[in-house]
Amino acid sequence: MRRRALLAAAAGGGVVALIGAGAGVWSQVPVIPERPQPDSATALGWVAHRDGRFTLTLPRAEMGQNIATALKQIACAELGVAWDIVDVVLHATDMPRVKATVGSESVMLFAEPLAQACAALRDALASGQIAGVISVTSRPLADLRSLRAGGLIGASPEITHGREIVTGAPLYAADIRLPGMQYGRVLRAPASGEVQSRPLRWDLEAARAVPGFVAVVEECGPPIGQAQGLGIVAARPGALDAIAEALEIEWSIAAPPARSDIARAVDVDARLSVGVLPHVVLDGAPEDGAWDVDLRVDVPMAAHGPIEPRAAVAAWQDGTLRVWAGTQDAFYIRDFLADAVGLPLGSVTVQSCRIGGAFGGKTICTVEAEAAALTLATGNPIKVQWTRAQEFALGFHRPPSSHRIRARVAQGRITDWDHAQMSSHIMFTAAVVPPWMQRGTDMFAGDGGVARGMAAPYLLGRARAAYDMVRLPVHTGPWRGLGAGPNALAIECAMDEAALIAGVDPLAFRLAHVADPLLAGVLERVGEIASWGSTPAPVDGMRVGRGIACGTYKDTSHAAAVADVAVDVRGRVRVTRLWCVHDCGLVINPDQVRAQCEGNLVWSLGMVLTDDLPTDAGHVAAQTFADAPIPRMTDVPPITVDLIQSDRPPQGAGETAMVAGPGAIANAIRAATGQRAVRFPVRAEDFAA
Amino acid sequence: MSSILNGQTHDIPPDWADEPLLFLLREHFGLTGAKFGCGVGICGACTIIVDGVATRSCITRAGNVEGLNVRTIEGLAEADILHPVQQAWLDHGVPQCGYCQAGQIMAAVALLEQVRDPSAEDVDAAMDANLCRCGTYPRIRAAVLSAAERV
Repeated sequence: MRRRALLAAAAGGGVVALIGAGAGVWSQVPVIPERPQPDSATALGWVAHRDGRFTLTLPRAEMGQNIATALKQIACAELGVAWDIVDVVLHATDMPRVKATVGSESVMLFAEPLAQACAALRDALASGQIAGVISVTSRPLADLRSLRAGGLIGASPEITHGREIVTGAPLYAADIRLPGMQYGRVLRAPASGEVQSRPLRWDLEAARAVPGFVAVVEECGPPIGQAQGLGIVAARPGALDAIAEALEIEWSIAAPPARSDIARAVDVDARLSVGVLPHVVLDGAPEDGAWDVDLRVDVPMAAHGPIEPRAAVAAWQDGTLRVWAGTQDAFYIRDFLADAVGLPLGSVTVQSCRIGGAFGGKTICTVEAEAAALTLATGNPIKVQWTRAQEFALGFHRPPSSHRIRARVAQGRITDWDHAQMSSHIMFTAAVVPPWMQRGTDMFAGDGGVARGMAAPYLLGRARAAYDMVRLPVHTGPWRGLGAGPNALAIECAMDEAALIAGVDPLAFRLAHVADPLLAGVLERVGEIASWGSTPAPVDGMRVGRGIACGTYKDTSHAAAVADVAVDVRGRVRVTRLWCVHDCGLVINPDQVRAQCEGNLVWSLGMVLTDDLPTDAGHVAAQTFADAPIPRMTDVPPITVDLIQSDRPPQGAGETAMVAGPGAIANAIRAATGQRAVRFPVRAEDFAA
Repeated sequence: MSSILNGQTHDIPPDWADEPLLFLLREHFGLTGAKFGCGVGICGACTIIVDGVATRSCITRAGNVEGLNVRTIEGLAEADILHPVQQAWLDHGVPQCGYCQAGQIMAAVALLEQVRDPSAEDVDAAMDANLCRCGTYPRIRAAVLSAAERV
């Protein structure tokens, strides 16, 4: 049954105060995201033909990977039709379920089913069928026109939505406007989401006096973690801050959280001192004895920092809860909302909107449930967009990780390797798994997100890699590349130190250890385009250096990068040049794959120079971008990206360069200063001349 | 109380006078190009042009633009003809998620109206206060410089 709020008072002048029916008792059984693999039969539902035009209903979320453009290229190429007669629309949950847009899978997994469906539609139209339903019989890949280079495949047409973006047309969830719409926010205690908190007392009269006040809503949706909120609704969005302030809410907050010293909680050496790490990635047995390389590498928590704080609009329309959301998983949002408010799935519809940046952070249901609860309570359409401070406080973040990484070198080769990592959860997180389930997943499942990229793409002799996770008072979860970025950074730092000990050029040293010829290919190529072996251009009064790194993402795509840096006497680091070579198989849209590589390189720069999320007493202390800075224009050097021409089936490109960029920059700092960066983001005082 | 909005005089309703200009534009006038990103003037996603100056609409009181000339991204193109900066953004494939780009474009337009032939350093300095998490900065730099040749 749908939870209903009580309409307690309706004063004149349209000012309404709503008092909820008391704190909701929310389900302790989580809604599990369903992740069906796409197939050709399902893909038939993504394309439609009517009156000589085609509609492609995008089976993915569009968040800047410009997948709408790439999949339209597949559709046009396979249908054999002109670019202008295919319209792309973003999906709502009234079509068959598609899995969340995560893991750089959109071309890799969706191109072929889409191509199969388009081929079937093309043949049906050619045979004279212009109405009704068709079926698809999968044909050999070689018979698909859109999975080989030529024509639109390998071209870079103007991006879908490009014209709307540059003219300011409404595309994002917060751009939705509905008649009678009001503006909501759910206030939560300034505390860890892992301790129980709820509003105790507040000054309703003071809030009522704020111009634009509409309501205070107790029944404001499920807690985030264990933080129960208090909803407010206003006639204008600017009134929300004043109402929040006027309420002067007194919060009930349970005892301070355990492990509020987060850096200490993930200290890998402290963890190793009390026993072996339970989750094994590489099970070799390095020999006992002294190590030639022995690094402790620390990577802190980091926010996703999309410029769009998450937003949702919710409304009751014709007995249906309709929600517009910028989410990576509209179907999960639909399932979650139906469960939370007690409606059948068919009575909840979620419309995907273009997302203003997500990077793994917009996969769970938060702001959507707040908007839904406030619209249920008030009967009015409600828009909720989180403040920047809420993004930091209530979102989940890249977990901190601490690495002890060791190598032994003989005759120019690594003979023994040991990588130990302590981190927090990425997959089975407190944001989605209730406390009673966490013990089981911790014991039996490990965390594939933390493990990602821990198996170094090298032949390392007797190699061991193992990890453990600890629950933190701040929510952690997927962040671009999951564990792959931090793991590769640690691995590439150790490889560089090993090359120095061996007295071998870092590029040659890596090539001597690489097993996969595709990875060797990107390494050799980046050496060519960056003129590896030459010295970086001198910069007046600065120490300059050049570094290299490489890696493989999810076993199938490869990247290598070279970075130049200049370091001033005070130890401030500037990246002055970046090169990257990338192999993701067949490239549908080279310009947008290059754009993904460029983005990953800017994120790489951020990993080394800026990304950190300060915490205090177990909750996020950052309020603005000033407290959690991201790279800016003047931080970013000229970037050259080169794509390997390949006829392998297309692979992912959204996260791959994250395995190469950070290591290249860190190794360039080593080359410039003679000092190894082990604590990120780097601090100037550690590199002062 | 009124201002000139994209060339036309519009009234500012009294109950919106104390709102941030950003919300007046987005929610009252339906000009949703300028975006809410941080609310404190750091990120630049809400950038518009007021009397020729790139301005953070999230920290500008709506009532304070009374009598002033306010330009938003919706007013840049003339019918189907894009402004050279908009066209350069498409030619260089700048947008990834696109959310910050209205602010970026307005900052670039304001720059090119003040500095006809900017150097790369001028562009970096003028655009440094507009954040982009996708990392489109190299393309923004290239697009502004190429637009400068066409303005």
